[in-house]
Amino acid sequence: MSAAWKAAGLTYNRYLAIAARTIRRSLKEDKRIIAERRGESELKFAKWQNGKASEMKNVASENAAAMAQQSS
Amino acid sequence: MLSRTARPALRAAAAVPTRAAAAPAGVAGYATLREINDRLKSMNNMKKITNTMKVVASTKLTRASRAMEESRKYGETSQEVFEAAETKVPEAEEKKSLIIVCSSDRGLCGGIHSGLSRRIRKLFAEEGSSDLVVIGEKCRAQLSRSNPQSLQLTFAGVGRNVPTFADAQAIADQVALLPTEYTDVKILYNKFINATSYEPTFIEAFSEDAITQSPNFSAFEVEEESLSNLREYSLANSLYWALAEGHACEMSSRRNAMDNATKNAGEMINKLQIQYNRSRQAVITNELVEIITGATASADM
Repeated sequence: MSAAWKAAGLTYNRYLAIAARTIRRSLKEDKRIIAERRGESELKFAKWQNGKASEMKNVASENAAAMAQQSS
Repeated sequence: MLSRTARPALRAAAAVPTRAAAAPAGVAGYATLREINDRLKSMNNMKKITNTMKVVASTKLTRASRAMEESRKYGETSQEVFEAAETKVPEAEEKKSLIIVCSSDRGLCGGIHSGLSRRIRKLFAEEGSSDLVVIGEKCRAQLSRSNPQSLQLTFAGVGRNVPTFADAQAIADQVALLPTEYTDVKILYNKFINATSYEPTFIEAFSEDAITQSPNFSAFEVEEESLSNLREYSLANSLYWALAEGHACEMSSRRNAMDNATKNAGEMINKLQIQYNRSRQAVITNELVEIITGATASADM
């Protein structure tokens, strides 16, 4: 049995992150704002090859793209 | 932002002793008097800056240490499975290990970042190099100078605030997406021992093979499919723990560093104040002597 999210190429962490985001968004207004701060991420990353760095990219969008590629 | 404003002041402070040596005490009283006054002012400003940074760091420290306590529970609970299963790194012929270094983007916090880099260099000298994933600008700068070939991924943008689990998850995903299969993954972070001492420590994160080969693993009855989920999730958990603890260490270390800086600035201000008063007095005495000699000379005529 393979779950639908796995077939869509998501990793377990991504699956959890999406579930957590959904729950945060369904909270009441005042609590939601505090909770949503916990889901923010300003991470940037660069891939290195042979001692050279590539451009800095946003982790969240890059993750989504990589997972879309994996989907079957 | 604060660190940038502090920089010119720090540089000015570094330049002070050379200028003081160039102008021997007591010659040309007026010039040095003004110079000392200027220096006093800049020292006062610097003291204010370092003191503010200290206060900011202390308030952040309370929040960071609370986050650390909470994240430690996560990390320890997720490690419990592997402890019960007695998971060990398999003795493979060709080891391919990956080390994740958890530092941060900000400096001015003592030697915690260079402590991590030094630990990595020592490990590489002992066991040969392995691949690196670096979180945070500071360690990236240090390690890209010494081991540019080992770097695989670098992350930036952590350490501004208390790290979130979303950060840890995103990093864990990127690590999982790396093309190479690693036999073992280690996370290097600063362990918070007490407010003044931190120790670079490793957390093990195991590969799927290592988990299935562990002696007591059959007790858990984990299905084959969810195994990779467990691995990914435990990596994110460990990362979150490491990031939160590293963050708390950084804040505490910054607080100490800024405390020392404020103390040193205070000492220097005292010294300069004494020097200023002395040379002011010398100038006054000098003037008095001149007036009196002038007066007596004209009275005699």
